[in-house]
Amino acid sequence: MSALLEAHGLVRRFRGLAAVDGLSFSVEEGQSLAIIGPNGAGKTTAFNLVSGLLAPNAGRITFRGRDVTGVRAHERCRMGLGRTFQVVQPFAELDVLGNVMVGALFGGGAASVAGARAEALRLCDMVGLGPKALWPVGGLTVPDRKRLELARALATKPALLLLDEVMEGLTPAEEREAVGLLHRIRADGVTLLLIEHVMSTVRDLSDRVLVMDYGKPIAEGTYAEVSRDPNVIAAYLGSEEATA
Amino acid sequence: MRRELVAWLAFIAIAALLPLALASDPYLMLLANVMLMFMALALSWDVVARTGQLSLAHGAFFGLGAYTVAIGHKYAALPPLAGLAVAGVVGAIVAVALGGVTLRLRGIYFAIATLAFGEVLRTVALQVPDVTGGTIGISMPPLFGGDRVASYYLAGAIFLLALALSLGVRYTRAHYAVTAIRTNEAVAAVMGVPVVLTKVLTFVTAAVIATLAGAFYMPFITHTDPHDAFEVSRSVAALAFPIFGGIYTSVGPVIGTVVLRSLEEYLRVTPPWKEGYQVVYGAVIVLAVLFMPRGLVGLASRMRARLSRRPEARIPILGSGR
Repeated sequence: MSALLEAHGLVRRFRGLAAVDGLSFSVEEGQSLAIIGPNGAGKTTAFNLVSGLLAPNAGRITFRGRDVTGVRAHERCRMGLGRTFQVVQPFAELDVLGNVMVGALFGGGAASVAGARAEALRLCDMVGLGPKALWPVGGLTVPDRKRLELARALATKPALLLLDEVMEGLTPAEEREAVGLLHRIRADGVTLLLIEHVMSTVRDLSDRVLVMDYGKPIAEGTYAEVSRDPNVIAAYLGSEEATA
Repeated sequence: MRRELVAWLAFIAIAALLPLALASDPYLMLLANVMLMFMALALSWDVVARTGQLSLAHGAFFGLGAYTVAIGHKYAALPPLAGLAVAGVVGAIVAVALGGVTLRLRGIYFAIATLAFGEVLRTVALQVPDVTGGTIGISMPPLFGGDRVASYYLAGAIFLLALALSLGVRYTRAHYAVTAIRTNEAVAAVMGVPVVLTKVLTFVTAAVIATLAGAFYMPFITHTDPHDAFEVSRSVAALAFPIFGGIYTSVGPVIGTVVLRSLEEYLRVTPPWKEGYQVVYGAVIVLAVLFMPRGLVGLASRMRARLSRRPEARIPILGSGR
């Protein structure tokens, strides 16, 4: 087994309500997985469990062959598990470059502040924030904040990158640009695990799709397979997508 | 960075020469000693604040230092400097224990837990009079035989430790860790920042400095008792000075100490204010918090921005993007 990430029977309850209820899946190295499902299906909770911000009530997570269920978030990050947040939360008291440097210094293991700065500048250029590297983050537009979120996560040198709705709030043109960028990131050897509502992005960027509903996986397969699955159509895609 | 370091070197040079001018005036020398001690307290409190934790235990560590030296003197005839060294170790051990328990708490909960710590120490000091001397406290002979110039340089050494900590956190990778933690702990953690370790390290280092300040103060004023050692107002001073001067900076706590300590001293000895000086002093702090966010340092940088305002300088802040 060469799975990069494996989740076994994850359960997470909030005051008796199971947000994630028996979730198992695996991500193979280089095989990007998209998690889709209606609002409230438990996708972001699953991300919080995988990245270590929440502890599961039951279940196990292995990453790179090691059981990381009890490993703290910052150590998982150093092992190569990076993530972005759906609601972007930049560090308001640092400029754009400083935000990216946090990732390079701690997650990415940069040896010096100068080294982290150089790496952060390179990543700002890569995501298209080069000219704004010294801006305060308060002045960034929504697409720029998404770029920053991506640059920060990349600075931690992830082997697996968890992307929580990076396309939200982008125009179709910006989406195409972002998909191109994510293709380049994949080509650099980063495996993607993404939560996404934009179906074209799911189709373009994932090798496999996991569909969640009420905290449980209800279907898994290629994009074409899951979009034909009657359970999925009933639960999520609805008549609109099914007839499209 | 370089400009700030040069400014600090100049400050240190002037402070080192100050006794040449003040040595003949014991009152001013007393003030200078106490001023350096409070600067160390304010600088170290600010370092804890940079991780987003509001500590009310600083005065308690101060009292712990005072009592360590006093008890060491009373039972082991420990000389003041040896007592100071022991106090540093005691402060570190207690801070690791207290930090390990309380640093998982945030905001008001952490503040209350640290406030309670001071009350516990005060109660202990009152309840075991055989060791602590109870309400009467403990006395010892004056530090360096009452030589206030010599003690000034000892206070200066503790101040330098605090300044080195403050600048060290500002100009190394620690700056990125504490700023990220202060803004958003969860995001900091998933970016690889060791949140708990960073908080414990800053808390312990700062607590050691507060303990050393108390360990200096006790033989300097030759006496300690539970009410003086664990006075809440000292914890309040440790946070009021940095907030007044400019929180999360090195210059802010120092300027805040100089201005507020001088004001307090002036009000305390000047006739019309003498009676109610604490009311006036309190009102100044309240007004400062309300109308000077980021303190004197913030005020200065806003005035500088206003003077040099150019239209293009505002673009990055309002930035309409692409």
